[in-house]
Amino acid sequence: MNGDALRTENRELRTAMANDRRPATTDFSIIGKSIAMVDAAGKTTGSGKYTDDLSVPGMLYGKILHSPHPHARIKSIDTSRAEKLDGVVAVVTGKNAPNPFGILPVGHDEYALALDKVRYVGDNVACVAAVSESIAEKALELIEVDYELLPAYFDPEESMKAETGLIHDNKPNNLEKDYHHAFADPDKAFAEADYIAEGRFLANEVTHAAMEPHSTLASFEIDPHIGNPGRLTVWSSTQVPYYLQHKLSLVLEMPMQQIRVIKPLVGGGFGGKSEVIPIEIIAGIAARAARKPVKITYTREEVFWAHRGRPRTIVDLKTGVKNDGRITAVKARVVQDGGAYCSYGVVTILYSGALLGALYDIPNIQYDGYRVLTNKPACGAMRGHGTVNVRFAFESQLDEIAAKLNIDPAEIRRRNLLQPPCITINGLRVLSYGLPECIDQVVTRSRWNECKGKLPKGRGLGIACSHYVSGAANSIIRSDMPHSTVNIKIDRDGGVVVYTGASDIGQGSDTMVAQVAAETFGCSLNRVKVVAADTDLTPIDIGSYSSRVTFMNGNATLRAAQEVKKQIAAAAAKKMNCAPDELVFRNDTVNRKQLAGEGARATQAQPIVSGRVEGQILRGSLQQKRKDEGPKDSMTFEEAVVAAIDFHGALSGTGSYAPPAEARGGKHKGAGVGPSPAYSYSAQVAEVSVDEDTGEVTVHKVWAAHDCGRALNPVSVEGQIIGSVWMGMGQALTEELVWKDGLLMNPGLLEYRSPSSVESPEVEPIIVESIDPEGPFGAKECSEGSLAATIPAIANAIYDAVGIRLHESPFTPERVLAALRAKKNAKPLNLTEGVDPTAPTKFREHGGSTCFKGKGPQRHELDPARQAAQPGDTE
Amino acid sequence: MSLPEFKLLRPRNLADAVGQLAQHAGSIRILAGGTDLLPSMRQKLFDSQYLLDIRHLAELKGIRPQPDGCVEIGALTALTTIAHSDFLRQHYPVLPEAAKTVASPVLRNMGTIGGNICLDTRCLWYNQSFQWRKSCGFCIKKDGDLCHVAPGGMKCWAAFSGDTPPALLCLNADIEIASPAGVRRVKLSDFYTGDGVIHRKLQLNELVTRVFLPASSSGYRGVYRKLRIRGSIDYPLAGVAIVLKRSNGHIEDARIGITAVNPAPLLVKGATELLKGKSLTEDLAEAVGDLAAQTAKPLTTSALTPEYRREMIRVFTKRALIAAAGD
Amino acid sequence: MKKELVALTINGLTHELAIEPNALLLDVLRRDLNLTGSKRGCDDSSCGTCTVLVDGTPMLACTLLAASCEGQEITTVEGVSEHGSLAAIQKAYGDWGGAQCGFCTPGFIMAVKHLLSVNENPTEDEIRAALSGNLCRCTGYTQMYQAIKAAIDAEKQGMAMSR
Repeated sequence: MNGDALRTENRELRTAMANDRRPATTDFSIIGKSIAMVDAAGKTTGSGKYTDDLSVPGMLYGKILHSPHPHARIKSIDTSRAEKLDGVVAVVTGKNAPNPFGILPVGHDEYALALDKVRYVGDNVACVAAVSESIAEKALELIEVDYELLPAYFDPEESMKAETGLIHDNKPNNLEKDYHHAFADPDKAFAEADYIAEGRFLANEVTHAAMEPHSTLASFEIDPHIGNPGRLTVWSSTQVPYYLQHKLSLVLEMPMQQIRVIKPLVGGGFGGKSEVIPIEIIAGIAARAARKPVKITYTREEVFWAHRGRPRTIVDLKTGVKNDGRITAVKARVVQDGGAYCSYGVVTILYSGALLGALYDIPNIQYDGYRVLTNKPACGAMRGHGTVNVRFAFESQLDEIAAKLNIDPAEIRRRNLLQPPCITINGLRVLSYGLPECIDQVVTRSRWNECKGKLPKGRGLGIACSHYVSGAANSIIRSDMPHSTVNIKIDRDGGVVVYTGASDIGQGSDTMVAQVAAETFGCSLNRVKVVAADTDLTPIDIGSYSSRVTFMNGNATLRAAQEVKKQIAAAAAKKMNCAPDELVFRNDTVNRKQLAGEGARATQAQPIVSGRVEGQILRGSLQQKRKDEGPKDSMTFEEAVVAAIDFHGALSGTGSYAPPAEARGGKHKGAGVGPSPAYSYSAQVAEVSVDEDTGEVTVHKVWAAHDCGRALNPVSVEGQIIGSVWMGMGQALTEELVWKDGLLMNPGLLEYRSPSSVESPEVEPIIVESIDPEGPFGAKECSEGSLAATIPAIANAIYDAVGIRLHESPFTPERVLAALRAKKNAKPLNLTEGVDPTAPTKFREHGGSTCFKGKGPQRHELDPARQAAQPGDTE
Repeated sequence: MSLPEFKLLRPRNLADAVGQLAQHAGSIRILAGGTDLLPSMRQKLFDSQYLLDIRHLAELKGIRPQPDGCVEIGALTALTTIAHSDFLRQHYPVLPEAAKTVASPVLRNMGTIGGNICLDTRCLWYNQSFQWRKSCGFCIKKDGDLCHVAPGGMKCWAAFSGDTPPALLCLNADIEIASPAGVRRVKLSDFYTGDGVIHRKLQLNELVTRVFLPASSSGYRGVYRKLRIRGSIDYPLAGVAIVLKRSNGHIEDARIGITAVNPAPLLVKGATELLKGKSLTEDLAEAVGDLAAQTAKPLTTSALTPEYRREMIRVFTKRALIAAAGD
Repeated sequence: MKKELVALTINGLTHELAIEPNALLLDVLRRDLNLTGSKRGCDDSSCGTCTVLVDGTPMLACTLLAASCEGQEITTVEGVSEHGSLAAIQKAYGDWGGAQCGFCTPGFIMAVKHLLSVNENPTEDEIRAALSGNLCRCTGYTQMYQAIKAAIDAEKQGMAMSR
């Protein structure tokens, strides 16, 4: 699209929006109120069940054998000794289920258990099902695998040069995917810029580290008609039960309707459970072979191997600006170290480019993205999927530009705001846009204008912004099906049961669904029961990822509830001798509008009869009798429900949500990723201090303003904002996967340093409500968007504090100290073999880690890898 | 990851424990707090036929000031108890300072002073699961014959990573070791070998029972500085303990101990001589810091580079000195 | 491996169990007694999700041999709620967003229970220190501090009312 056409279109969009401006209702009874999650008591008492807490009679324990080599061909596997061990029921290998799978339709490159090749240390080779974990572990040691070692690739820039010994035969140069986008005329725009900043940024690999290790329990039931195992039930720690059902069907060659996936409580996801993880399929394979239920729970080390975290990313970024700070063009070259399988990689590399748009007004964009395969665990989706590392680069560079042009960093951001409603140059539609208010809020609350540049030595403030999608407008499976569907039934007991496929992974989606339903029916929350994420019971929802659940499942719930409410209103209106739209549902009563206030009092006078069915029926007929005596002005919710059931025969309804066509983006290759029905916005100010002798950075406080449309449950929204900021701080300061020749040096929570309470800063969450025209009650995303701003806010605050610009995350004390030394021309701290840590030019093979400077792992003399030359080895 | 199989022995008293230890010497391990032993056993770093559970030996618990002015600390005294002891805080402040930085509160409730003294040396190539270690061909400390940290070398450089021993070294602590032959008392400074594999001089039939702090070490100011990435949970990546006594504005005596940068905790030789009788200046603190940094020989056994860790020994020594000498 | 008979006192009840000498307390709680509130989050004794009270002191159930706990009073999260109702700290964790995914929550509840038993009115620094052996990946800890303060207030009010 050219710039002029876009401007015309945006003008039309604005006019249309102005005509369609509905008055925002603010008089809610449950929406907007802070409430405890509906499943909170189970979590605080320990009675809530997560997958590993479940057991079924006769259940076996599964343990997985992993590859010790980063890249090898499997010549043979001998499981006979393991099978003979007392207590072992089954041993399965790739041959037991040879179909490939992958979360993306274009990326079916994984096997639950390796068929002919292993591609990373930790790849899955075989599984033992035994009566106890210790027996299964012993059996693993008895499995003999004969490997032929292959050259391995650990550095993406080296890997891209590979011509032989490819990781996947159909991926030349080990390139999973590359995209090259140019929107408008970047070259011309750079030529017209007054100032151009260029730099290389490097963000090291981080992982979700959800507290619950992945776990799956698979159980077949015997078909009464054929007498053999038939239907499969799988309980799994997943964010995507329906995708799991689909992939199980694919690999096990069973019809989907024979597979039931149930999601119990999930102990955190952050994207790590947003695709089908091998364990989930292996459990099914093992249960089928063992003819008994099998539960597998990953050890923490296995969780790190399963990974799917945020890839190490090199960002070469170039920004052109006018002297007034207006951005003319941005050019980004992004290389992601994707690991051995596709996973969500194609989507990640597209998000990295697409989300250059929709935060600021950038009229010209060039993007070159490379997703590269290496012999390490696959990277995938992690909170802030695709945007975080590029945002770190962008917001840092914008800060550099502000300093160069002598513009206040908050002001330069204000000068580049979008004018919504609009469609960006790369095809993203923006309707609600709370970013200006977010910036104002954090500037005011942090006393930015008073304090910036005036804090004591070594202390500083930094600002940065970010945004995120409220769900992807295009599903990863190309089809016209709705992204969410919700069923509601109400029976004569007046209980509202909502059947939703939304997967609560701790973010509170069950509570959101209950709130939306209760608000719509004007009933109390404890009347609403949520049945969620069970493929037999609940209609399809594509899962809890890309922050889509509140927007999409919330809308589906709203529509289902409105449909049911319409039926109730029709029946109640008849009884009350009025039109249905004259009725107000509130406080568990249905009133005629003018009597809304009095109705509430009337209810209190009528105690609700117990839930016994006979009572309800009796009361229904009493009601009928009363009705005969004349029309009423008010009914209790239960009376109205009974009237509706009597009238319609049954009371149920369905609602679904599919993103509108206008929000689905442009037509270029890869345009499907990035568009969303709505974007959340975030602005943050971080206050840090830097110890100039040790390089230690302390984050004192982060002010985080987040535009979530409308906060349905403010305490939860604040929790999500704080959690995002905090996780961003982890990536900024302490978290990093450290690799050495494909070996993960820190596969545990002791050495992968998720911050403790001691060094975690105070985060002040500030809710900004832009009231999105399409969101349920105006709501948008709140769980991911804040993360990306935190890393550059801290980086910019470090610059403010001590004048060093860090280009590589995390900002560990040694990197900070090295940069300080370099700035002062003091005795250098040589951490990186001559590479200036403030301006890394080489993407070092071990994660930018400063840990390991020497040779790779010395292998045992009996290990053939010791003799074999490894062409892929960069050293 | 399950534990290897063993038989659990639960002695009723110390004599019982010493007897059982001697009876099964070579095939028995001592379980005190378990915070290092049990995770290591799950990683198959140790297996033994017997485990001697001494958790409940009351006679080895407690802090007991003696009439001669010294203090006796039972080896099974929890690190929390040490950190909170008013007596120690008053007379031997460096020890509770160091104890309160060990790991995390819950681990300090379990971990003991004896365990912290006997703590196994640590290395990223060693403290890993069996499967992980197999992937790199094992190492010289366990199951292999190679060192990944100093390739070609035959010495193990795994770092001693206890927080309290440098403090105890500064306090000239002795430890009591029991065996069927009776008890012997050794200077803690003679307890460590400096080798990463067999890092302490303790016979297979011996058990550390008590720690003694001499009266002559009482009343020193004490500071412990620990390099860690998180404010909790982490093992030290470098640590400096300092005790210092002043008189008339001069340093009457001082000792400096370092940890987590060598296979043993060490006193910095020559530091006392440099400091004695002088008033502390920035230059003097700097010089002592340099001395401490020279004593440190960190290698790539943990997070953060050896260069940085050695540099922090220098910075922390200087800062700790200034803190200890200040008013 | 030969099992041995062990009597364990858990949440005030004594259970006689035949267990292997190498069984961890956490496994016995979860597998033999179906007390699955205590969780396993790591394998290197670093995360605190399995925190229980042993004779009133927080310890890691994954780092204790069950047989070694004979004769000690063990309290798990299942023993915290009072007469079938939520204890003040449990209620407050729900109300203030102290629990999101909830997996680490039982461990935190035990750590907080111990903190409040030794310090009725902790400062925020004391709270931070007391929680620092437990990792949470959702909350960033902030809302836990609010919950703990609310629980302290609720306890005080409750005590005032019962006087």
